[in-house]
Amino acid sequence: MSEENTPQQTPETVPDVSQFCPKGDVLVVAEHILGELQPVTLELLGAGRILADKMERKLICIVMGHEIGDIPQKMIEYGADKVYVADHEALKNYRTLPYRRVLVDFLESLPEPPHTTLLGSTTTGRDLAPRIAAHFDTGLTADCTELDIGPYEHKSKVDPTKIGLYPNCLYAIRPSFGESLKARILGPWKNPQMATTRPGVMIPNKPDSNKKGEIVKVPVNLKEDDTRLVVEETIREMSKGIKLTEADVIVAGGYGLGTVEGFELVKKLAACFENSAIGASRKVVDLGWIPYQHQIGQTGKTVRPKLYIACGISGAIQHRVGMSKSNIIIAINKDPDAAIFKFAHHGIVGDCYQIIPEMIKQLQENKVKREVEAVVGTH
Amino acid sequence: MSGYNIFVLVKQVPDQGSKAGINPDGTIDRAKAKRMLNPFDRYALQAALHTKKSYGGTVTAISMGPPPAVEILMEALEHGVDRGFLLSDRRLAASDTLATAYALYKTVLYAGKFDIIFCGLQTTDGDTAQVGPQLAERLNLPQITYCEDFAIENGRVQARRIIEGGIQRVSTGMPVLVTVANSYHPLEYKSFRGAWRVQQLARRQEELKQYIQTIDLDLIGADVERCGLKGSPTIVAATEKVGEIGGSCTMHEGHSPDEMVKEIIKSTGIREYLVAK
Repeated sequence: MSEENTPQQTPETVPDVSQFCPKGDVLVVAEHILGELQPVTLELLGAGRILADKMERKLICIVMGHEIGDIPQKMIEYGADKVYVADHEALKNYRTLPYRRVLVDFLESLPEPPHTTLLGSTTTGRDLAPRIAAHFDTGLTADCTELDIGPYEHKSKVDPTKIGLYPNCLYAIRPSFGESLKARILGPWKNPQMATTRPGVMIPNKPDSNKKGEIVKVPVNLKEDDTRLVVEETIREMSKGIKLTEADVIVAGGYGLGTVEGFELVKKLAACFENSAIGASRKVVDLGWIPYQHQIGQTGKTVRPKLYIACGISGAIQHRVGMSKSNIIIAINKDPDAAIFKFAHHGIVGDCYQIIPEMIKQLQENKVKREVEAVVGTH
Repeated sequence: MSGYNIFVLVKQVPDQGSKAGINPDGTIDRAKAKRMLNPFDRYALQAALHTKKSYGGTVTAISMGPPPAVEILMEALEHGVDRGFLLSDRRLAASDTLATAYALYKTVLYAGKFDIIFCGLQTTDGDTAQVGPQLAERLNLPQITYCEDFAIENGRVQARRIIEGGIQRVSTGMPVLVTVANSYHPLEYKSFRGAWRVQQLARRQEELKQYIQTIDLDLIGADVERCGLKGSPTIVAATEKVGEIGGSCTMHEGHSPDEMVKEIIKSTGIREYLVAK
């Protein structure tokens, strides 16, 4: 864009940017649910390790919570060099203000601010990261899908105070404008550079049980102000089922199903598959056919399963952005002109009430056949 | 004086469902694009109006954007909002979330005393979900993000919010900032009376100014260095178009559902994922 094409400044206007080249490490803020490390944290450790190695810095982590068991050890196995642990009863459940306090105190206690601080784009990360960024008046890039570090020469005439060559700049890449564009967001003149990353995108390291690391306790000093909000009750209603972002197969229903009963078929079809989950388009969530937690798309979740079966979904851009990265997309829709047939891999034009029961029937027959083959094969 | 001072933040965004104003490279020409109230803000607006209806008080809508954004404040007025502020200033151009939250913070202080600030969960043009929490940090407020149910009991806010794989019930005193999830109740239709009243107002610009005030950075005493591109610690350095997907869909035709399904099972390998046992 224009930023990069502006002519080079005369040397006397170039300010000293060495103050913006901190020696700090790469920090990952861990997320866990009552002692169970979230997959996004392992993914962040994978991405953070690459960034830290590139700069020859350490990969450090902070875990906040209470009675967190072997999480610090596990994080070392997945790539962390040093894990800071803030253990306090008041941190048992995630709450914005106490976690904010601990993280702010911790960042201020470090001899050098982290070069880069990473959190997951989860309900927790998106709640906490903006507050930390605002506190330190630093930049925060939301929902990244790629991260890299490298030199960046800023030449913009609009703000001469920022002109200069930044040796280690975080390249945070995120989808924008309904995912039709990839935007490269930079901000090397404020530290720490911060980003949240979308779950399911970064690749975790293979755990190494021989890897050595340091575990350090950090103090927790909460103030009265920090406990203004009280958690009355926490219900993990979906913890028994499989989460959309982790499912291999998603069967999703849309307005084309006609009635709420259509979801019974969707559920039956999903039940044919291992590690499957139910998805939905916004319209049927708005109609109350299925809870919001199942919504996929711009205003819902982003998923990338191995197999996505869209039943009666028209394929509006808002839905497409949430599921277009699925490995195989199968679409069933009565309307041959439905937008979904423009980006699905396989399509059937037909009535869901005929196609889905037939599919369930044939899959069950297939399963029997496969089992017979398996048995015969062993003889 | 009874009831609560309720603020709601609203934003005008380009309608991505419309082709108008989309440049060939996929970026949005905001001057030409069809404009709309950010869909997420409809839930925030509903929460604000519902709170007013249930517990009394006044609703103030606050927006930041170019002059046409006054349209969404008019829309909010039609729905029953009492007054609106539009922060409009060329020096706000290229604001990132931090600079936006700072400008909104100064606007909120200018707009007066408040008990609750409702925000949409995120916008459909930025998708960051950051401005609400950043504003809460500036104002030193507790925040309830991903809120899907909201009530006030004995002067305390009771809310239900979405968390990873579940829900949480929380309570807090006021003032508080709440970002509303779209599992909250959808925005009710505007009343005929409300729409008619605003239509009349639109003809009397002087009178309209009593309800919707357009303000700038000088008036609210904002530090210009902290606004717009200058106040933004991040910039969009480059954009790259993501390849168009499409055109490769294999249609499985057949005379009966039986044939079509057979085809699709054969060619997609979906048997791989069947439940074992």
